[in-house]
Amino acid sequence: MYRTPGLETTYFTFLNYPLKLKMDWLSWFFGIAIVSINLFAIIFSLSDMKGKKRLDLFYLLMLLVNAGMLGVVFSGDFISFYVYWEIMSWSTFLLISFKEEGWSAGLKYIILSIIGSFSMLVGMLAIYSNLGTFSIGAIMKEMHYLSTGFTFSILVLFSIAFGIKNALMPLHTWLPDSYTDSEATFTVVLSGMLTRMGVFGFVLILYIIVGLTRFQYIGSGWFSHVLTYLAAISIILATFIALLQDDAKKLLAWHSVGQGGYIILGIAYGTTLGVASGIFHTLNHAIYIALLFMVVGAVELRTGSRDLNALGGLRSRMPVIFYTGLIGIAGFIGIPLTNGFVSKWLLYKTLILNHSPFLAFSALIGTWVTILYGFKFLHNIFLGQIPAKYENVERAPFSMRFPVILLSLAIILFGVLPGIPLRVIGWMQKTMGFEVAKINIWGIVTETGTLNTVNIFFAIMLTVFGIYILYRIGFRSKRVAREDTYAAGHPVPRDKYAYTSEFYAPLFRKIKPIFREWVSIFFEKIVKFGRSLSDRIRKIYVGDLGTYVLYIVLFLAFLLILRMGWNLW
Amino acid sequence: MVILLIVGSIAIGFMVGVLFLGLSRKVKARIHWRYGPPLYQPIIDIVKLFHQESVSHGFLFDFGILLSLGGAIVCLLFIPIGNIIPLQGSGGLLVVLYLMLIAPFGIALSSAEAANPNASIGISRKFILALGYEIPFLLIVLSVMTNYGTTSFVEIVALQRASHWGIISMPLSGIALLLILPAMMGIRPFDQVGAPQEISSGPEVEYGGIYLALSEIQHIYLIFIDIALFVALFMGGSSEPLTFFLKMLPIFLIVILVSTVYPRFRIEQAFSYCIKWPTIIAFLGLLLVIWR
Repeated sequence: MYRTPGLETTYFTFLNYPLKLKMDWLSWFFGIAIVSINLFAIIFSLSDMKGKKRLDLFYLLMLLVNAGMLGVVFSGDFISFYVYWEIMSWSTFLLISFKEEGWSAGLKYIILSIIGSFSMLVGMLAIYSNLGTFSIGAIMKEMHYLSTGFTFSILVLFSIAFGIKNALMPLHTWLPDSYTDSEATFTVVLSGMLTRMGVFGFVLILYIIVGLTRFQYIGSGWFSHVLTYLAAISIILATFIALLQDDAKKLLAWHSVGQGGYIILGIAYGTTLGVASGIFHTLNHAIYIALLFMVVGAVELRTGSRDLNALGGLRSRMPVIFYTGLIGIAGFIGIPLTNGFVSKWLLYKTLILNHSPFLAFSALIGTWVTILYGFKFLHNIFLGQIPAKYENVERAPFSMRFPVILLSLAIILFGVLPGIPLRVIGWMQKTMGFEVAKINIWGIVTETGTLNTVNIFFAIMLTVFGIYILYRIGFRSKRVAREDTYAAGHPVPRDKYAYTSEFYAPLFRKIKPIFREWVSIFFEKIVKFGRSLSDRIRKIYVGDLGTYVLYIVLFLAFLLILRMGWNLW
Repeated sequence: MVILLIVGSIAIGFMVGVLFLGLSRKVKARIHWRYGPPLYQPIIDIVKLFHQESVSHGFLFDFGILLSLGGAIVCLLFIPIGNIIPLQGSGGLLVVLYLMLIAPFGIALSSAEAANPNASIGISRKFILALGYEIPFLLIVLSVMTNYGTTSFVEIVALQRASHWGIISMPLSGIALLLILPAMMGIRPFDQVGAPQEISSGPEVEYGGIYLALSEIQHIYLIFIDIALFVALFMGGSSEPLTFFLKMLPIFLIVILVSTVYPRFRIEQAFSYCIKWPTIIAFLGLLLVIWR
């Protein structure tokens, strides 16, 4: 099974209908990622969930979510796919609203999720009514019998479902609140792989069911254009909104919306490098975002706060968490030698060489904004002055340090040797009918330029080492306390002066009016309108029997007039 | 061979950078009707700083400054200085874009290790300014890469030598890069980051002795890289280092002349400046490239 993908097996027969499981490189790749992220989350939960109530329910739901995700990834027919998808969505809903403040976020999630599920169900039934089968393998072979218009509508229906799951703008409104209000352990799972089941869905529908050539010619490429531009808008808006956040979890959540944009941009662009970058970035993003949510969880456990305006200086109190967080932020920004760099490099490269400079610009500018808030995250939690109340903070427990160390090693490993996952992605792309890029262990070779991460690695190592020797020779520095600083004759009293708050104040004044959560504002307007409308309608129920009789008489009169054809005389 | 190229690149970058720094002092002095220090004054300063006692605030304080200098030097290795390009087949212009931000990131980590508010304000200004100039800069780099259809530095230079300079085929992009060059180099009117009179030199406030020397060397390399980028992207590069240097010289003098007469902007003004005219011109430049 391990080396021979493409297997299918029937595991259960329901009303004479065989339910199947399949195994191919795509499922294998996502399956491994899901299991690892969930394993790390469970290890993390040992101290995160310690002493909390209703643990039996929590762990049951965590296992159900895991089972649901694995089921979705391995299911070989649409019925299993739908059933597992729903198991996953409903247990996610219960987990988001596990904490009391998460109730409204959970409600938002489940409403959007139901809309998505139903649109997907309609799509599945439409395919069934035309082809008479639910089996993905059979549909793949017969899809080209269907007309272009029909295929297009199927794509739209499935894209709504997967777009909601992957939080593609304008369907992203559930995500920031859900990430912020759920338990830290669950946020790791939710941000890491659960949200990215939408990506799995997109790859499945676009490249396995519909197929590469057909996808690109539907509506002369319009579908692909709309998706890529939506993704580009997601990148720009979400990263700028992330820049304005003061809650560490919310910052990461908005970042995650933006990265969903990168992934969809790569996948919908439809070139070999683009799709490779999309799938690779899914893995990379899962690794570093899980790490950073664990970092926030550890900080919150020890200090009880995740407010970026109130923390600071925790570097010396939680050194392991800080250094792993630093590596996580490096991957988050995509600094060379971390995994985030490679996948973004592939994306930029394919966008530029295929003459889409505006899409490339949105991707690049998203990265540059990420630098700003990535550093803000690091600085406001770990660097600068430590508030007196956090002076005696303990370091994080072992069960929190262990997963973050492993995840940070994975960031470096896939950054220096990106060929390991890229090779699997290459095999995957071969089955989808892409030309396969030449992949070495150290990167990727194309006719128009090569990426060699090992060279960059050695260049940086050698220079840092060289400077270090130089520095050792002429090195006579005296170690002093961090608070012992030069203040130009105006010493700064402790705790009087919180300079981490409003870190980019001059910039915020400029961009705050432009980058607001327009979509949420729009939805809230609709809700408000609906509420005031219902309020007005409610006024006809006056509670007086005479008035109700009057209504009935008036209605009968109206029917009579109608019957007479508006002809009263 | 590669080692020789690396050493050559690092040495040329350092010497030319030092020369530029000395020259800038001399030119400024002459504009002020002063005699000015000798051309090799920056070397004297650095040697002096290496002999002074210095103060450290912890491991990250040391590591950040090393990272910053390392990032600047590795970035230099990707730039074609004439025929000297040590790392030509390892990623091209896109990697340079990323490596250019390792240096400020290293300085930021290092100076934030000390609990000094001036340093934090300086870093925050640096990142705001960087966002400001990166918006037009990315548009410019994209128009160059779209125009020549490649992301490889070597090929961009070769294509310019085969036809004509980039400034002729993409005039608007070239002008936009010239407009933001002072902001990228961080010299007046864009020296808000290290404004000595306001925030005691910002990120450098805690540096003394060897730290200040390393930070100075890093700055020298960054000045070199920024001007070399202009020459390689828009003035056809060169086949040997001397012509390359001669092409860099007038660009540097223009930037210095601008910097001598203008006072410092406020950070909001600098940001607004960058995202206004340079961005509009760079955007038009990109449209021009696509339209052709």
